[in-house]
Amino acid sequence: MPITIEMPRLSDTMEEGTLLKWNVGVGDKVSAGDHLADVETDKATMELQAFEDGTVARIQINEGDTVPIGEVIMVLAGDGESVEDAAAAEAPSSGDAEGPQADADDTSSDDAAADEPAKSAESASAPKPSGGKIKVSPLARKLAEEKGVDLASIQGTGPDGRIIKRDILKAAEGGSQQSGSAPASEGVISTEPIGAGTAAPATAATSLEAKTIKLSGMRKTIARRLVESKTTVPHFSVSAAVSMDALLELRSTLNQQLDAQNVKLSVNDFILRAVALAAVQHPVVNSSWGGDSIQQHGTVNIGIAVALPEERGGGLVVPVINDVQNKGLRQISAETKALAKKARETGLSPEEMSGSTIAVSNIGMYGSEMVVPIINPPNAVIMGIGAALQQAVVKDGQIVPGYVMRVTLSGDHRVVDGATAAEYLQTLTSMLEQPAGLLV
Amino acid sequence: MVASDRKLQYREALREAMQEEMRRDERVFLMGEEVAEYHGAYKVSQGMVEEFGPRRIVDSPISETGFAGLGVGAAMYGLRPIIEFMSWSFCLVAADQIINNAPKMLYMSGGQFGCPAVFRGNNGAGGQLGSTHSWSVESLFSHVPGLKLAVPSTPRDAKGLLKAGIRDEDPFFNLESERMLGMGARGDKDFSRYLKGGKWAPPEDDDDFVIELGVADVKKSGSDCTVVSAGRPVHFALEAAEALEKEGIDVEVVDVRTYRPLDIETIASSVRKTNYAVVVDQSWPFASVGAEVAAQIYERCFDDLDNQVIRVHNDDVPAPYNREMEQACLPNTKKIIEAVKAVTYNA
Repeated sequence: MPITIEMPRLSDTMEEGTLLKWNVGVGDKVSAGDHLADVETDKATMELQAFEDGTVARIQINEGDTVPIGEVIMVLAGDGESVEDAAAAEAPSSGDAEGPQADADDTSSDDAAADEPAKSAESASAPKPSGGKIKVSPLARKLAEEKGVDLASIQGTGPDGRIIKRDILKAAEGGSQQSGSAPASEGVISTEPIGAGTAAPATAATSLEAKTIKLSGMRKTIARRLVESKTTVPHFSVSAAVSMDALLELRSTLNQQLDAQNVKLSVNDFILRAVALAAVQHPVVNSSWGGDSIQQHGTVNIGIAVALPEERGGGLVVPVINDVQNKGLRQISAETKALAKKARETGLSPEEMSGSTIAVSNIGMYGSEMVVPIINPPNAVIMGIGAALQQAVVKDGQIVPGYVMRVTLSGDHRVVDGATAAEYLQTLTSMLEQPAGLLV
Repeated sequence: MVASDRKLQYREALREAMQEEMRRDERVFLMGEEVAEYHGAYKVSQGMVEEFGPRRIVDSPISETGFAGLGVGAAMYGLRPIIEFMSWSFCLVAADQIINNAPKMLYMSGGQFGCPAVFRGNNGAGGQLGSTHSWSVESLFSHVPGLKLAVPSTPRDAKGLLKAGIRDEDPFFNLESERMLGMGARGDKDFSRYLKGGKWAPPEDDDDFVIELGVADVKKSGSDCTVVSAGRPVHFALEAAEALEKEGIDVEVVDVRTYRPLDIETIASSVRKTNYAVVVDQSWPFASVGAEVAAQIYERCFDDLDNQVIRVHNDDVPAPYNREMEQACLPNTKKIIEAVKAVTYNA
């Protein structure tokens, strides 16, 4: 039997995928584990691997095509089977049997398909895989709107995965029972990019080129989620200036001592630890809006906005570091580096991008003074970090030079009030200004 | 006024309704096969010829076309006939009079006169009478504008609805059930539970006790699923509700009592509360009253439904004579339990 390979579901929210690049061609032998193609999902570009051995008999979709989950994208000839036979059989996709591709195959392979009409009729009327259109009862649809539950994030328990009343009620009350204890953030989000490292300064262009750029899946998701956040979450921002002299000095000292161990702490590592420790004292900021309740989380999982390089299609992703309140600077540093590297080079898995309880968006490396970030729902708070810039500081009535860093909290006002946010910022400021506390 | 120790069979309730109305209004008379000397084939009119005499309790030959037509003419003339069909299955030969003429008379006379005739008799299968005797005609007749149609499920409803129908200016069809005529007899186990509470009490011993046509009755309130029915299957629905209560499913049983007029608002408000609906109908499924009720539920409650409306019907075949097969075709308690579980995603 020919082996059909369908567009796989590579993330919880994926509904369709774009085939960026085929790594194999017709006639190639493949074995399980081989990297067949690159597929772009709504979040990231992932490798499509072979699960079985075979020979490529037919490539069903072209590079650049976007197809729904479940649609056949290629056919392999199995053991002892000729490529020609495999290519001729099973012409249409198992998904929607429409579209020019299926039609063309139908007419060109009349003979081969003639003995299979019953089968294709059957598969056409069979329940569709749970990709594509979401099945939902009228009542559940109404309840989801009332309670602000995203239907795409729910697995229905009715017939054929139909989402029904109890699924909505469960999702609304549990917030995130589907994916573990922490709320599943969609990973791709919020504010300006961060930490891309070597953003090359633009070379002096002599002319600009006008062009229209097709949206990538990730760009669509970023757009959708940010519009959703900015239009449905009542944002407010509170800002504080933090004197960074002590922290920069401490960092420099530590890095000299740790140099031999090949450890280099970044300012961001200190900030992450301070954000987590301060959140332990003000748990309200480490919360999620749940429609008719607020979930305060028992751990601080920080989502870090990471800008992706242009070669990987640009955009930004939000890897998550879990349990930051229990981790030391060295571990935070190592995990951040590893995740950022993975994000830029090979792409993150959906698990590595979900479960954040608070977010940090750091634009310090670009020299910008301040950023007012957009919240990454369901997080209630995101911290925007500016660059530590040398400024004229008034100290004991004297103007002296000093490093000042602008920290801006954007909060969901349904969850966090201004005073609470300001108290949190006060704690955070004090921790950053007296950084020895971050070492213990 | 509720006489709490009074026990009345369904057939006695029908008789009492006719007696009271005949005493109240001398235009009322009863006609049908064996209703006088033999006291009714099912003893519904027992003793009536003694009280009212053979001019008002009239024995007719086996001639449905003739005596149904006579009833329609008498009503047009100003009398208040009650025409008894021994079985509603036999009325079909008189279809021209009872459904082509009677319901349209008020319209066709430009409002000058109508046809306040009452037609009543046994309806539905369940007594091994073969397929020509086992019609459930509610779907067939509910189709026609201009008539009122009741399917009473208890002695109290039988009395109150029949009295209202006799007083009504429109043609009124009362669909009774041979299987229910003895219900409510003294010591009847099934009847005992109806004695609790006002709604379940026997009919008031009151000349002016009537039940308004077009008002459904919530026979049992519940929060998890609405079961809509009428007539005999209401009892299956109540039995199903009792069984399901043990499994934690709280069923609401709505007895429509009259299919025409249909009290869709009571049904809809129940469905809006429970979000699930099962419609139980003793007639055939195609183009049936159950289909009509389901469609109206969709029209009014679409956004409150968490599943499709499930219908429980008589099987779409002529009634078999064989007892086991006949029972298997009818709506029953087990089918209703299964439907409620399926519709509430508890199957």
